[in-house]
Amino acid sequence: MPPSYMERAANISIAGWSGTTESARVRVRFFTIILIASACLSAALASWLPLQVSIATVFLFAGPHNWFEARYFLMRLPARFGRSRNFFAVAFAGIFVLTLAYVSLPLLYYTNVWSASNWPTAIAGWNTLLLLWLGALVLLRGQQNSRRDWFWALPATFALCALNWLAPDLFSLGIVYLHPLVALWFLDRHLRRTRPEWLRAYRRCLLLLPLLLAGMILYLARTPSLADDNGLFWRITQHAGAELLPNISSHLLVSTHVFLELLHYGIWIVALPLIGATGAVWSVKAIPLARRRRGWPKLIGAVLVCGLFIVALLWIGFSANYPLTRDLYFAVAIAHVMAEAPFLLRMI
Amino acid sequence: MKRTVLISAAALLLAASAVYTFGDIARPKPTPAEGKIVFHTRLQIVPDAKAYEARLQISQESLQRIREASATSANQSPTQRLLQSSTRTMMAGVFMFLAVSFAGVWLARSGQKRNHKIAAGLVLGLIWLGATAIIVRANAGPPGSFYWRNLPENLTKGQSTSGGLDIEIVPGDDGIKLLVPLKNPKKPGEE
Repeated sequence: MPPSYMERAANISIAGWSGTTESARVRVRFFTIILIASACLSAALASWLPLQVSIATVFLFAGPHNWFEARYFLMRLPARFGRSRNFFAVAFAGIFVLTLAYVSLPLLYYTNVWSASNWPTAIAGWNTLLLLWLGALVLLRGQQNSRRDWFWALPATFALCALNWLAPDLFSLGIVYLHPLVALWFLDRHLRRTRPEWLRAYRRCLLLLPLLLAGMILYLARTPSLADDNGLFWRITQHAGAELLPNISSHLLVSTHVFLELLHYGIWIVALPLIGATGAVWSVKAIPLARRRRGWPKLIGAVLVCGLFIVALLWIGFSANYPLTRDLYFAVAIAHVMAEAPFLLRMI
Repeated sequence: MKRTVLISAAALLLAASAVYTFGDIARPKPTPAEGKIVFHTRLQIVPDAKAYEARLQISQESLQRIREASATSANQSPTQRLLQSSTRTMMAGVFMFLAVSFAGVWLARSGQKRNHKIAAGLVLGLIWLGATAIIVRANAGPPGSFYWRNLPENLTKGQSTSGGLDIEIVPGDDGIKLLVPLKNPKKPGEE
């Protein structure tokens, strides 16, 4: 190599680089401060007024966060399935069948097809199908890469099925509390791909989560249970597990659930769109099914607009009859809980 | 042939009479419903020379806990519910069997040392948990009767005695009963 080239390389100014590094550092610091402030504010609000915050957050964010999730999933859906054809076939079939079964469970119960004593068995059966579906997805995903040995998913699935049959109600309650945390995993995977320099700060911030939860438990463990004297408050405390865990203050249970839900909504509505995970909200060009040759941009656009109408309809429903709309929403919302599984697996 | 018919008829008669005999068996006495311990607290027995009536003092917090416990005692614990559901117990057993079997297959087919290390770590963890449980139980302290052993002497001397107490809710309307664990109480005139 001629010496002149070396000189040129040596003379490259690094002033611009240091400026970029400094601005990147500022952005990471800003991101960290927002994360910590949001988490602390959520914990404080959820501990202070759990029932009121629960009503307000579900009213405001339940619909929009589903829309953002749907848009995100459309963006992550490949234009051609290729080798992932079986994976997506099992994923979509599972989402459809399990959602249908989940929605029909209360309908069958109210038509007296089975007695109340058989309800835990029905729930355990549904949970088993869910676990077997998840296990199948993990195995199919593992088969797509010869370097992976994900056979461990099979014994793990069966062990979880056994635990589910021992206490189906508690297992379902576990899903209620664990589902909001999946959003944190999505954010982690996205930062790893798009903002690797933010990942370290994000993972450090995650350490704050058990600390905040421990603080909430210490602060609220001895508080009296919430007055669930009206139908709506009763529904909220039941959803958080007040009947299953009678020795734990329902204030603590509802606050913890609301705190986790706030984090979940915050990630889907604010964090992921801000880091560009969902693309420009108004544009369908980032969605592979719309972008590809002979794609369906109009259909995708229509689906998204329809989604906005459903969000508006949900707000109208909440305004007209909050308890009924809440019940209907949480019955149908199981679909978005399950849809997260295949898309998260695709990112691992 | 005649003999066979006679023996058969006698056997049938005997079998038929058994129904009447069984029908005359006295109805079994209903087993009394067992009490249920709802929580553990402390009890202090204080002799009071100035008092005219025995008094049971319960702190407000304990009373609240008794109320909550009696309200929830109607609900069965998960273990009780599980014991009553043979279907769920069998299903849990089948899935546990499958889990252990496939875990063995996974270990056998994966030649990776890392997986073996994970399995060894799990087994060691279980052993550690078991050993910890044994140690903790070994250090659980003396039985409750130890704290009550001096109750008769203390009552005679007019001194107070305190020890652990299980609050048990029993069926019926027999008021309040205090059962004190006294091992080998000295009989009168035994000294």
